[in-house]
Amino acid sequence: MLRRTRILAILSMAALQQVARSETDYAGMYEKEILPILEENCYSCHGDGEDKGKVSFDTFGSTAELMNQSGLWVHALKNIRSGMMPPTKKKRIPQEDFAKLEDWIKHGALKIDPLHPDPGRVTLRRLNRVEYRNTIRDLMGIDFRADEEFPADDTGYGFDNIGDVLSTSSMLLEKYMQAAETIVAKAVPLERRITPQIEVGADEFLGTGAGGGRDSELRISLYDPADLTAKHNITKSGTYRIVLNASVNGSFAYDPGRAEVEWFVDGQRMMDQSLKWEAGRPVESTTEVKWQAGEHTLRLMMKPLVGKEQKPAEKPGDGPPNVDLRFKGVTLIGPLEPAFSKRPKNYDRFFSRDEVPQDTAGQTQYAEEILRGFTARAFRRPVDDATVSRLTTLAMDSAAMAGGSFERGIARAITAVLASPRFLFRMEEVLPQNDPQDHPLLDEYALASRLSYFLWSTMPDHTLYQLASRGELRKNLPAQIDRMLKDDRSDELMENFAGQWLQSRDVESVSIDARIVLARDIGQEKDMRRRFEKYQQLNRDIDAAERAHDSTKVDALRAERAEMKAKFSNGGRRIEFGGSLRTAMRRETEMMFRHLVQTDGSVLALIENDSTFLNEELANHYGVPDVRGDKMRLVKLPPDSPRGGILTMGTVLAVTSNPTRTSPVKRGLFILDNILGTPPPPPPPNIPSLEASEKTHNGDDRTLREALAMHREKPLCSSCHDRMDPLGLAMENFNAMGLWRDKERGQPIEGGGGKLITGEPFADVRELKHVLVTARRTDYYRCITEKMLTYALGRGPEPCDIPTVDAIVEDLEKSGGKFSKLITGIIESTPFQKRQRDTP
Amino acid sequence: MIPSNINRRGFLRGVGACIALPALEAFLPGRAMAAATSGKIATTATGAPLRMAFLYFPNGAIQNQWAPVGSGRDFIFGNTLAPLESMRQRVQVISGLGHVNAEAGADGAGDHARANGTFLTGVRVKKTAGSDIRAGISVDQIAANEIGGLTRFASLELSSDPHRKSGGCDSGYSCAYESNLAWRSPTSPLSPESNPRMVFERLFGSGVPGQRGASLVQRRTQQRSILDFVMDDAKSVQKQLTHRDKAKMDEYLTGLREIEQRIVTAEGFKNIPDPSMPTPEGIPTAYDDYIRLMFQMMALAFETDATRVSSMILAHDGSNRSFPEIEIAEGHHSLSHHRDDPALIQKVAQIDRFYAERLAEFLKLLDSKHDADGNSILHNSMIVYGSGCSDGNRHTHVDLPVVLAGNGGGRFNPGRHVQTDSTPMCNLYLNLLDTMGVSGLDRFGDSTGRFSDV
Repeated sequence: MLRRTRILAILSMAALQQVARSETDYAGMYEKEILPILEENCYSCHGDGEDKGKVSFDTFGSTAELMNQSGLWVHALKNIRSGMMPPTKKKRIPQEDFAKLEDWIKHGALKIDPLHPDPGRVTLRRLNRVEYRNTIRDLMGIDFRADEEFPADDTGYGFDNIGDVLSTSSMLLEKYMQAAETIVAKAVPLERRITPQIEVGADEFLGTGAGGGRDSELRISLYDPADLTAKHNITKSGTYRIVLNASVNGSFAYDPGRAEVEWFVDGQRMMDQSLKWEAGRPVESTTEVKWQAGEHTLRLMMKPLVGKEQKPAEKPGDGPPNVDLRFKGVTLIGPLEPAFSKRPKNYDRFFSRDEVPQDTAGQTQYAEEILRGFTARAFRRPVDDATVSRLTTLAMDSAAMAGGSFERGIARAITAVLASPRFLFRMEEVLPQNDPQDHPLLDEYALASRLSYFLWSTMPDHTLYQLASRGELRKNLPAQIDRMLKDDRSDELMENFAGQWLQSRDVESVSIDARIVLARDIGQEKDMRRRFEKYQQLNRDIDAAERAHDSTKVDALRAERAEMKAKFSNGGRRIEFGGSLRTAMRRETEMMFRHLVQTDGSVLALIENDSTFLNEELANHYGVPDVRGDKMRLVKLPPDSPRGGILTMGTVLAVTSNPTRTSPVKRGLFILDNILGTPPPPPPPNIPSLEASEKTHNGDDRTLREALAMHREKPLCSSCHDRMDPLGLAMENFNAMGLWRDKERGQPIEGGGGKLITGEPFADVRELKHVLVTARRTDYYRCITEKMLTYALGRGPEPCDIPTVDAIVEDLEKSGGKFSKLITGIIESTPFQKRQRDTP
Repeated sequence: MIPSNINRRGFLRGVGACIALPALEAFLPGRAMAAATSGKIATTATGAPLRMAFLYFPNGAIQNQWAPVGSGRDFIFGNTLAPLESMRQRVQVISGLGHVNAEAGADGAGDHARANGTFLTGVRVKKTAGSDIRAGISVDQIAANEIGGLTRFASLELSSDPHRKSGGCDSGYSCAYESNLAWRSPTSPLSPESNPRMVFERLFGSGVPGQRGASLVQRRTQQRSILDFVMDDAKSVQKQLTHRDKAKMDEYLTGLREIEQRIVTAEGFKNIPDPSMPTPEGIPTAYDDYIRLMFQMMALAFETDATRVSSMILAHDGSNRSFPEIEIAEGHHSLSHHRDDPALIQKVAQIDRFYAERLAEFLKLLDSKHDADGNSILHNSMIVYGSGCSDGNRHTHVDLPVVLAGNGGGRFNPGRHVQTDSTPMCNLYLNLLDTMGVSGLDRFGDSTGRFSDV
């Protein structure tokens, strides 16, 4: 088997030489070789009565018991590898001893068996909301908004596709059943032939007076004259039904606007109506005409009957009054003659033949044929005869019911398939294995699903399924991975993996108060608050005066308010942290990730990069000149720009902030958690995770940097905050919206220099990025590998994954961090390819 | 047409009043009525339904503003609970209840996850990021198991906190602990519904008033038609599974059986009420409107006897929501670590009061509705409003802020400030279960007895 050789190849030779060792051997080895290393390097804090951080190696009853502490050893391995231990001020473990210790922990204490690598256990995974929506799109050809219809999925290990955490309640199940009905009703056509129908959108109408619109809808104010014409070409002569799609929509408050609207088809007036303020009344016209092939004109005219000067002023609390015609265009149905009828959209997706057989036996056979094909696609593997037969019975029984039809019967059976556990869960089967010690390989269908849900968050496409059915997918993995990553569907990997790993998904909803953030930067937070409170008070006073009908007072207060408004208009600086900017930020992160994956760039370039993706709005936000227009594109940054790389992207800077200010602690934690993979232990219980007092004893405000420095003076806090704070403080030149600033609370922000707990110094955020991709590169490789492996498998990291991660990290080291090594490495790894054998 | 002088918020408030429903007796099914009169389960002495609800607010409360002054009948509400003044004779503020299992113990940090996870379960939830979540069956579900068959829905789980964040939740605890209150079993949380439209359609059907009953029947017929196939499929799949996979399929099968049971139960209920209000459109933008609408849904469910057990998460513990509605830009959680700064404390207190105002509105709504026995729905209810944190600044879980509203169908003695000392919250729960008529339970969570001074 090809895969087998590959898997074996990734094991180091050193490991292979030790396979024969038994547990007793390792225990003996501990006494002779490992214990002295620990005594020499670790016992000054973690032995001989010392138990710093509640860790000690010599408080267990026996060597066997010590060797069973897998949590302790995983931790120890992680800490010596990342250079956290021994601490920088102590001497390093000599290289030879280090290798010995590392090897013993892996194979002795953690019992990793290189001959029979353990893939770990992946719990049966339910489709999450994203996967459900995508799978329905690919299987049924319609978009079902699972994100709105289903409750949010719980997350574990930072991702929402973790089998153990994806639970199924009866409420969710009821929703699945309901969704199946809704989806089938929308997707499966019940008619064999229908009259052709097309939409002539409002955007095809040209002329004067078109107001602002949304999507393909024109909003024409009843105060504005309009004359709009569409010239539409038809190819078939016949009878056509023309349906006008429009409605009148008024604001909540009354508006006296009125207008006359006229509707012409080929110059002939079909409708003439007077419109006035109403909430959502349709403006209807349906006409049947005989049309010859060729060009025809459709025309909508509006003549206002009330002058603009009569438009009333806005009343406080009610919003501006308005009334407009919302024009969506025209539906053109025809030719109505039966000869022109056609197959409904999607018919071929479900029904393979042109005609349904007349006799029951023929229908049954046809139903079986349809359902076998559909169910195999839905279950993502071939389906057994018994299931097909039960579904066929369901379909035929349903077809025979009152009001039933063959199509309705099929639709019913499809509904059942969509509620079935084999659709909702990802069932995995394995290939038979020869060596009973071995863990079996997944079968090709399971592999196809793992691939497609990993890279596309959806079901396998036709190509993958076909390869699996011929047993050729494993043989063609590299080519398939390459194809899949080039496909647009791989956007899902960016949105779902990168979006959760780097939390860029959250930037669109994170709560940030732009006014206060900016006021804080320039040291006017308090003034601004006072001003804002005063402003609110004025508003309340105005309301009260209005209720009291005291017009003199109202006028006086309004004048005061206007004066205030003029005085503090913020010098024209933007104070919004708006939707389009947030979207651009999210896209920046996702597009950079995508760009690097597709060009097989280096994972290091996610951290340190001289280019990034920008549009005009985001470029202005970042202070990058000469980017015009809404389109996001790759921009080479000016040489002195601090941007480039995720740490100085708006996404990371905003999601690690509090609503009114930055949080250097959260930012530092983000780097430790998601880049270095060395999260500090959680804060001790009952001590709130403060960023220290922001006030001095006499009530003056401190800058965050000062406040944090005080905090770190306490020994209890310093052991972790010494790790987090310097990293976060290097990013203090970016406020909570990711905007560059020179001051915080009106005080200049000092350099941003510091050093990592492992000793590497940096002068500013650019140097920090550089340290992360050079001196701490291996930590980062290991971290991104573990994160992506977690996402790919749908389970948290286990000790048995260590050889897999080590092998991928080694490949990344050799290749300069190529994305292909990471993704292919994961796909070809034992945990991705195999399934843990059942232990009796 | 909506008159232009009523603003949107006023309109929403008005909705409660414009629901015309048949008198309750008209749709109490014979079976339930029989059970109601013959036994004591979920029934008041007069034979009317008895309901139970648990409402959770996050991050504790500023204690000196929460706590009433004085005790027994002779007390003055603190600033936070002052909005309850007009409901004074319907509520009791209980001081001194606690959840020791939410304390740190050996588990270290993660007080918010524990506060939320322990609140209705009373157990120490397992610290895990995912692979093996474990809490305990929650008090509402114990009641639902016992009495669920009396109503169309065994219980109704709601939330006005739909957002989930990426990354981890609280200090190594799975997000499942903070996004759910109700646990059907120690390993199966019941995810709450946060979209008011979905709640409404689930309770009363979809479409316009008058047609909703038919849509419910249709939904049932459709469910029934595929249930057999799906059940067989799940059983055949189950046979091939091992370990935790089997547990996952068990969840699915249990869910299916519950739906099956619900269909059978539903057949027994004719004339499902159809509120003459429009179906809610979705989640309102303003948070107060949102909470109000979700509370309306719960009130409707109680009023129509669709369920007698409900829970609602106003926001999960640790919630960092800001409150533009009351001009508070900072996040609740950040503020709750106020380090004794009076300005921050004041803001947290305003947030506490914001939530209490919603409670007051809800209680008034329930009190304005007449039950089958002529009493108000509130009279025939037991509503616990509380948080699993007491002092959000120090993350404590003793002396939790707790209000017990409703007269328990006449069995309670409201209008008081009840003071106890270091009593497990679970002792109160045992008493509520007793009142509900759930028999044979000696212990729940960390209970040490029954707290009966209510």
